Amino acid sequence: MGVVYVVTSGKGGVGKTTTTANLGCGLAKLGKQVVMLDTDIGLRNLDVVLGLENRIVYDVVDVVQGRCRLKQALIKDKRFENMYLLPAAQTKDKTAVTEVQMVELIDELKPQFDYILIDCPAGIEHGFKNAIAGADHAIVVTVPEVSAVRDADRIIGLLEAAGLNEPHLIINRIRTRMVQNGDMMSVEDMLEILAVDLLGIVPDDDSIVTSTNRGEPAVLDEMSRAGQAYRNITQRLCGAEVPLLDLSEKDGFLSRLKTLFAVR
Amino acid sequence: MVISGESVRLVSDTALVQRTLRSGQKVSFGGNVVVLGDVNPGAEIIADGHVVVLGALRGVVHAGAHGDDSATVVASSLLPTQIRIASYITRPPDGQPLPETFCPEVAYLRDGEVVIEKYVISK
Repeated sequence: MGVVYVVTSGKGGVGKTTTTANLGCGLAKLGKQVVMLDTDIGLRNLDVVLGLENRIVYDVVDVVQGRCRLKQALIKDKRFENMYLLPAAQTKDKTAVTEVQMVELIDELKPQFDYILIDCPAGIEHGFKNAIAGADHAIVVTVPEVSAVRDADRIIGLLEAAGLNEPHLIINRIRTRMVQNGDMMSVEDMLEILAVDLLGIVPDDDSIVTSTNRGEPAVLDEMSRAGQAYRNITQRLCGAEVPLLDLSEKDGFLSRLKTLFAVR
Repeated sequence: MVISGESVRLVSDTALVQRTLRSGQKVSFGGNVVVLGDVNPGAEIIADGHVVVLGALRGVVHAGAHGDDSATVVASSLLPTQIRIASYITRPPDGQPLPETFCPEVAYLRDGEVVIEKYVISK
């Protein structure tokens, strides 16, 4: 029986879709049966980030309204045999699907997959309620900004009210130098407010922009630091103990050399 | 000179869309569709007949949606996410993005395959 994670944040633009795509690919790379479900009806993006947009014929609304079978709407990934996407509709809106229909859909997916990742829309309205309706666990994505942390706190409260206790936290787009200079909230500052389990930290990385635009998630790029962070997170999801990514080594070649010699 | 015969048909079932279709916008029509504007990625046109786009076609288009094999798609710049004609579906190859073309192209069905060619006016 598969386990269902909803990736949510409240605030828009903090990296929900990028996180979903990277975790999905990371889990698929570890050989898991993965399906990603885009619930951002009307503003779908996950298909684009995965580079699967041109394969879409049917979508989640077609499935729940009985215009096609679930199997017809599932898009097999072009890289991994064991990874699928159920895309959102683009020409409809959030009210096209109900919470009950979402739960039924996920119940149908559960026996076929190890991991079901739900990409939640921004906001706390209908789309958010749909996305969390069938979830077993929640992954809250936030960035080191006061507004994003405020929204994450609100979301954690709403998740707890909906029975999704102990959400996991991913802190995205950390800029080490700004944290060191005291210009950006640190991981510790954020954990003090949110007080939830930290699943991982992801550095701010230019390669994310290019990989997202190309439809090739960074987790598959061995050279990408954000990709490394996502690889660590997928291993933690699978139950492995992996230390948090050391963000300090970003300081360039010279200081990396220094630390190298200091250690020895 | 008066032109008549097969090359001139009186069609009353054509929809004229005088605007650019943006992501999430959809035109469904039981005849031909002519768009005076672009069709952006995420936009969709579903027509029972032909589709003509006087602009860049970057979205999804379905011509002959009720099974008309003779339906065609013509666009000033044909860079679609996906083309469907009758019950056939095609998409651009993976990898490199489609090169921007500066000549009109036509997509039609030939032997059960969607083919795309330069749009040449036959005299």
